[in-house]
Amino acid sequence: MTTAPYRSSVTSADDGFGRLLLAEWTKLRSVLRWTLALLAAVVLTVLLGLSAAAGISADEPEVPSTVGPDGKPVRDGFQFLHGPLSANGELIARVEVPRSVGQSASPWSKAGIMVKAQARAGSEYAAMMVTPGHGVRFQSNFTHDVGAGGGSGPRWLRLTRSGATITGYVSADGRSWNRVGSTDLQGLQATAEAGLFVAAPDHIVQTRAFGSTSRIEVVARTTATFTDVTVRGGPPAAQWRSDDLGPRPPEPGTARPTANGFTLTGFGDIAPHPQGDERVRVPLTGAIIGLILVAALGVQSVTSEYRRGMIRTTFTASPRRGRVLAAKAIVVGAVTFVAGLVASLIVVPAAQPLLSRNGYRPPVFPAPELTDPAVLRAVLGTALVLALAAVLSVAAGAITRHSASAITAVIVLFVLPTVVVGALPLTAAEWVLRLTPAAGFSIQQAVDRYDHVETSCLPDDGCSFEQPWAGLGVLVAYTAVGLALAYRLIRRRDV
Amino acid sequence: MSHRSSAADRSPGQPGMVSRALHAEWTKLRTLRSTVLLVSGAVILTVLLSASAAGSAEPHTDLTKMSLTGVHVGQLCLVVLAILSVTGEYGTGTIKTTLLAVPSRVTVLLAKALTVTMIAVVVGTAGIAGSLAVGGFLLPEPWPGETGTVRAAAGTVLYLALVTLLGLGIATAVRDTVTAITLMLTLLYAFPFVAQLVGDPDWQRRLHSAGPMTAGLAIQATKDLDHLPIGPWPGLGVLIAYTVSALLLGTVLFRARDA
Repeated sequence: MTTAPYRSSVTSADDGFGRLLLAEWTKLRSVLRWTLALLAAVVLTVLLGLSAAAGISADEPEVPSTVGPDGKPVRDGFQFLHGPLSANGELIARVEVPRSVGQSASPWSKAGIMVKAQARAGSEYAAMMVTPGHGVRFQSNFTHDVGAGGGSGPRWLRLTRSGATITGYVSADGRSWNRVGSTDLQGLQATAEAGLFVAAPDHIVQTRAFGSTSRIEVVARTTATFTDVTVRGGPPAAQWRSDDLGPRPPEPGTARPTANGFTLTGFGDIAPHPQGDERVRVPLTGAIIGLILVAALGVQSVTSEYRRGMIRTTFTASPRRGRVLAAKAIVVGAVTFVAGLVASLIVVPAAQPLLSRNGYRPPVFPAPELTDPAVLRAVLGTALVLALAAVLSVAAGAITRHSASAITAVIVLFVLPTVVVGALPLTAAEWVLRLTPAAGFSIQQAVDRYDHVETSCLPDDGCSFEQPWAGLGVLVAYTAVGLALAYRLIRRRDV
Repeated sequence: MSHRSSAADRSPGQPGMVSRALHAEWTKLRTLRSTVLLVSGAVILTVLLSASAAGSAEPHTDLTKMSLTGVHVGQLCLVVLAILSVTGEYGTGTIKTTLLAVPSRVTVLLAKALTVTMIAVVVGTAGIAGSLAVGGFLLPEPWPGETGTVRAAAGTVLYLALVTLLGLGIATAVRDTVTAITLMLTLLYAFPFVAQLVGDPDWQRRLHSAGPMTAGLAIQATKDLDHLPIGPWPGLGVLIAYTVSALLLGTVLFRARDA
C-alpha cells in the first residue's frame, strides 16, 4: 500500500527583499538614540537656518530696479540714438566691435541696432548686436538670445520690421544676408523707436589677498563706431536724437556724428537682472548640521551591528549580503530624505519674515514660491543631499567596520575642504570644491542663470558649480563609488 | 594586623599613585595599533598638507600661516586619539578594570590627560618642524621674520595640545565614540563652515571669534593682525576657555556617574 508523501502544512517563509526592508526598518526605529538623532537633525537644521536668516542683512540696491515685459527685474540702461520707425521698416548699419577706454572690453559688451517699443527702460525690444567675446547675436526681451557665430570683426547688421515681427540678419559685405532669428513683440505700436545703441555690463574682477576675497565691479565706458547707416520707413539717421535710457549713468553717454556714420559711448547693460536667491539659500544653510548628524546615524546603523556581533545574525538570516547593504542604504536614505524634506519645508517659509525684516524685499528679492521650479529644486535637493550623505556614511561604516574612522572620514570629507580652501589661491580653491562631496550643496542655488549674463560663482559663497545638478552629480558619484566598494568588501570578508 | 584604610587608597595624594596611573595609561596607548597609525598619520599628513599649501601660496600673503596649514589634519588625528583613549575603554568594558585598579577618578583623568597631552606636544613639534622645514624650500619668498614665526609655531603646538584636551573632556562627558567624534568635529568645523555660507561680515567676525578652532588658529597669523576677527592671544584664550569647561564637565560627570 502506498502512502501519500509527506507535505508540510506550514506555509514557506517569505525571505524576499520586502522582509529585509522591514527588518532594517525595525532595527532603525527600535534604537531610541537614533530616533533622537534624527529629530535633533531636523530641529538643529531649522534653528541654524533661522539664525542665519536673522543675522544676514541685505545691502541697499544701488540702482532702482527696472521691470521687464514679463514682470521680472532687468537691467535696461544704454546709450540710444534713435528715431521713429513705421510698421513696415528696415534698419541697416555696419557696426564695429565695441571697445573700452584703458582696458579690455567686457566679453558681453554690446553695440548694434535695435527696434524698441518705446524709448523707456524695460519696454520690449529686439536687437542685432556685435560683442567682443561672443560674436554676433540677436537678442530680444532680455531673455531671448541667439548667436550667429563668426569671429570678432565688424559686421553689417539688419533688422526688418513687418507689423509686430522683427527679423535680424547679418552680413559680411552688406549684400548677401544670413537670417539669424526673428521674434514677435506683442506690445509694439504702429510707430516704434529704432536706432543705434551701445551698452557694457560692469566687469566683475575677483582677487584674493590675505585670505579674504574681494570682488570689484569695474564700470566700463564703452565706445562703438557705426558706419553706412540706412533707414527705410522713418526719418534718416541725421534727424535722430540720443538718450541715455535707464538709470542715470556715471557720466552722460554721447552720440557724435562722424564722416560716414556715428560714434556712440555709453554705460549700462541690457540683460535680465539675476535676482539674489538669498531668500531660499540662506535658510537652507543649516543643512550642514543636519548632514553631520545623519552621517553619524548612517555610520552607527552599520558599525553598531559589528560591535555587538549582531552582524552574524543579520548575515545568517540574509546570506545575500548585497541585499543587506541595499536594504540598509534604502531604509536609512529614505528616512533621512523625509527628515531633510520636513526640515527644509519648515525652515524656508519660517525664515521669510526674518529675511523681509532684514531688507530682502520684492522686487529685487521676490518672495519664493514652492511652485517655482528653482525653489522646489533647492528644497528637494537639500533633502536629497542629506539622504546621499547618509547612504555614503552607511557605505563608509561597512567599509571600515570601525565607527571612529568612518565618522571622521565622512565628516572630514564634507567639511574640511570648504574650510581649508580659504588658504588656497582662487583657481585651486574652485577646483578643490568641485571635487568634494560638499559640491552637492550647489543644488541650493535658486538663481536663474542665463548664458548671456555674466554672474559670479565664488567658493566663498559656497558656490562651487554654476549648474546646480552638476554639484549633486559629484555627490552621487562619491556615494556610488562608496557603495560599490562596500558591496565588494562585504562579500569578500568573513563577516 | 593592620591594613590600609580604603580612604587612603583613594586619595590622590598617595605617593606613586599618579605615576603608576600614568604608566598604565601609557602602556594602554602604546600597545594599540591604532595609536601608531594615528600618530604617524598626524605627522605625515601635517607635513604633506603644509607642503601643498606652501607650494601653492602666493607672495605677499601670510606665508607662515600658509605653511602651518597642516595643523588642520594633525588636530583631527590627535582628537580622534584622545577620544578613543576614553571611549575605547567604555566600548570594550575595560573602564571597570581601570577604575578598580585606580579608584580615584581624578587620578585616572589626570593620567589620561597627561599622556595624551605629551603625545600631542611631541606630534605637534615634529609636525610643525617638518612643515616649516618643507615650507622653507617651497615658499616663493624667503622667511619673513623670526619673532612672528616663533610665536606662530609655538602657538600651534600649544593649540594642538589644547584641542586634544578638549576632545578628551568631551569624550569623558559623552562616553560614546561616534557621539564624541561628531560633537567634537561639529564644534571645530561648524563655525567656519557656517561663517562661509552666511555672507554677512559682522556675523562672520562673530563666528570666527567664538569658534574654538578659528579663534585658536589666530595664533598663527603673522601679517595683517589688525584685520583679524580676534587677536592671537585672545583667540588662544577662547580655546583655553572651551578646553577648561570641557575638562571640568568631564570630571564632574566622571565622578558623579557609575562608570
